[in-house]
Formats: sequence, structure tokens, C-alpha cells
Amino acid sequence: MRPAVIFISLVGALLLADGLLALHQRARRAENDAEAGVLRVTVSGLGLTDLCLATEARYTRHPAVSDPMAPFMDHPGALEHFPTGSFWARPEAGR
Amino acid sequence: MNGLSRQLNVIDYSLSSLWRRRFKSVSVMVVFAAVIFLLASFQMTTKALTQTASRLLVMAPEITIQKMRAGRQEPIPVAYREKLAGIFGIRRITPRVWGYYFNETHAANLTVIGVDPRLMPLGEKLAAAIDTGRLPGDHEVVLGQGAEELLGENRMISLFRPDLSLKPLTVVGRFRPATDLLTYDTLFLPPDDARDLFSLPPELATDLCVTVANPSEVDTIAKKIAALLPGTRVLTRSQIEKTYHAVFGWRSGFASVCLLTALTSFIIFAWDKASGLTPEERREIGILKIVGWQTADVILLRFWEGVIVALLSFVAGYTLAYIHVAFFDAGLFRPIMLGWSVLHPRLRLSPGVEVGDVLLVLCLTVVPYLAATVVPAWRAAIIRADSALN
Repeated sequence: MRPAVIFISLVGALLLADGLLALHQRARRAENDAEAGVLRVTVSGLGLTDLCLATEARYTRHPAVSDPMAPFMDHPGALEHFPTGSFWARPEAGR
Repeated sequence: MNGLSRQLNVIDYSLSSLWRRRFKSVSVMVVFAAVIFLLASFQMTTKALTQTASRLLVMAPEITIQKMRAGRQEPIPVAYREKLAGIFGIRRITPRVWGYYFNETHAANLTVIGVDPRLMPLGEKLAAAIDTGRLPGDHEVVLGQGAEELLGENRMISLFRPDLSLKPLTVVGRFRPATDLLTYDTLFLPPDDARDLFSLPPELATDLCVTVANPSEVDTIAKKIAALLPGTRVLTRSQIEKTYHAVFGWRSGFASVCLLTALTSFIIFAWDKASGLTPEERREIGILKIVGWQTADVILLRFWEGVIVALLSFVAGYTLAYIHVAFFDAGLFRPIMLGWSVLHPRLRLSPGVEVGDVLLVLCLTVVPYLAATVVPAWRAAIIRADSALN
């Protein structure tokens, strides 16, 4: 078999795997859509403002309702020391 | 020889050439695929989280009022509701008592939420979010999955008040695992019990949630509230949504800087590999020229070598990135995203792959790679046959 055919077969196999993953993505999305109703009720019923992602500091647990300068306000000249603080973007200007 | 057959012959030769230099070719491909994997994983993770935030936080409180003093948030008087009674368009103002409880045994932060769901929009349906049990009554609590794992499956729990006296609570339910992304670390209890836990007097709350009759009036009402209550911060739902777009903004944070550094390093690596012609390669090009190959043919050969390496690396890297995000919850980024958090909520990310995303990663990786190999390819192609064989 000539090398070009082997190469095209290899790329085809990878694309076939991608097709299967696309089916998985559709199934996952359908599951998430089915759960969206109860999640929206939770947000609305508890008045939630944030996702539960990083729980290490109050400004990464609730970035939407934390003070914009929270990472630096422990004492004058304080530096941010929580790992997640450096991964997350600064708050939007003018908030 | 027709065009297709010529291209196939050149591809055959390119593949044979890559196979002869297989250690070099595979090392370039592995590094290239790793860079694409990291870029695509990061892009998919941040996009999935942004989409989730946008989808869910569309039901966040329309307006949240916080009291500020000396640049910090402090409890807000519940009586502020009366000051706002004159604003036309406000349907309801609900005080919320919430805060953090530090569990010293596990060094974990838990979020305590004290709210009366009967006063919140869709609150009457909140029981649907509880897996086993019911909504909490007086001195009762509903736990998130992570909070329950931490505190144990006890019927009673005791939490410390600020004066270190114990507050007993009966566990009457657990939030459904599907709500982990919202409630994993949550203790949900009635507002009076939350006040008791935080030693907060009854005339104070943590913040006020405002429900507005007409959503198009939210900004106007928010301005009126800010004017009536100086010293408060008035947050609207759209500002909350914008925060999440900024937080997960693709270009933000040091992660993207690290990834771009990795990409730059790879381009330098690719340039170095492509431009450093070995004596064998010079000899090979010399022989090709002698047997009749033109400069354009050698450039075509180099072009196909670049395309083969880039295509295989791109498809493999992107596929692995999807598997990493969808099946392993972006496990490589979790330590950075969660930091020192003790509770690790399950994300169940649904990475959406759209043509625009693929093209973006393609432009950021394959195009610079091909560009970095063009000049070395041309330099290789213009070698004089006699000088190469000397």
C-alpha cells in the first residue's frame, strides 16, 4: 500500500473518532438541557449570583458580588496570594 | 502526469522522507500536538464555563443591593426596603443572609445561604432541586453534595457561632448532584437560623434582592436605588453576567500568557528544526536536483511535509483536548482553577466545538508553523546541486 493511502486512512480514522465525539457532545448537551430547568429554579429560588467553582477565597467563590479590590484588601499593600486569583481576570472596569 | 497523481507522488515522497527522519518528525509532532492540546483545552474549558454561567445566571437576582463602608461590604439594614417603597416598578425586595463558614477540621470554606424561598421568584419549585428530603424549616438545613461529604451523612450537625457556642441543625435534605455547579458547598437554611449562626441582629441582612416587574426597567430602577441609598453598591443581572465573561475571558489571566509562551517556544523550535539542514538533507536535495527536480518541486515537497506534520498534530491535539475536557473535567487545569479549594465540585463540562473555535486554534498554531517553515523550505530548495554534493 502506498504511503499516501496509509496517511489518508490515518487522518480518516482520526476524523471518524471526532465524529463519534461529536455524537457524545450532542448527547451531553441534551443531558445538560434536560437539567437546565432545575438549575434555573435553584438559581432563582436561592437568589444565587455565582457558580460554585473555586471555594478557596470569597472573591473567587463569588466574583460577581465581591468587592473589586478584594484580592488586595487584607491589609494595606497586601499582595494577592490565592492561586486561583492569578488565573482569573481582573474585574471589569467601571463596575 | 495529471495534477492529482503528481501531488500523490509528492505526498508519498514526503511521507517516506519524514519516515527516514522519524525521530525528528515524531518529536516535532508530539510537541506540536501538545501545544494544540493545551490551547484547545483551555479554549474549550473557558468557553464551556462561560456558556454555563450565561445559561444559568440568566435567572440571577435582577438587582442586588450591598452596603459598603470603607471599601468593604457590610450588613445592610432591612429597613432600607421602606426607603425604596416609592420606586415604581419594584415588585418585591427580599433580604438574604449569607456568608461563609470555615470548617477547621477540613480547612474548607462552606457557603451558608439563609433565604426564604417563598419570597423568591420560582421559590415554590425549589423542592425540585432537592434530591432526598424537603425544604428546611426552623433549625433545619439542606446540604450540597460536597458539604454533606465533608460533614458526614449525619442527621444532626453542629456549627460554631462567632462566640464559639454550638448551633445544632437537623439535616432534612440534600441538593441533587445535577446542581453541584451551584450548590456543592452550600448549607441552605432559614434566614433566622443563618442570622443566629452569624450572630447578625434581626434588623440586618447580608444583601437585598430586588425583583422588578418589567425587565427593561432594571437599569433605570438600579440608578434610582443608587441615588436613594448612597453608600450602597447596586449590582444588576447584566453586570453579573458580564463579570463571568470577563473572568473566563479567553485572553485573560496568566494561563493564556503561559500558553502563548509555549506556542512561541514551539514556533522557535519548529524554525530551528526546519532551518537546520543536515548534511544528509543537503545531499538529498542535491540528488533530487540532479535527477530533474525543480526548485518549485522541492518547495512543494517541503510544503507537504509541513502540512502532514501540522494536520496530524492538529487533529490529534484537538481530539485529545476534547477528551480531556469532556471526560476528565479538564483535569490538567483543575489544580489552577480550584487553587487551595478543599471542595472540588464536579463540572460536567459540555465543550461546544464550533467552526470558529477550530479556525481560531488553527490560525494560532498551524499558520505560524507553516509560516515558520516557509523560509527554511525556500532556502533548502535553492541549494545548488553541485554545492550540496561537495
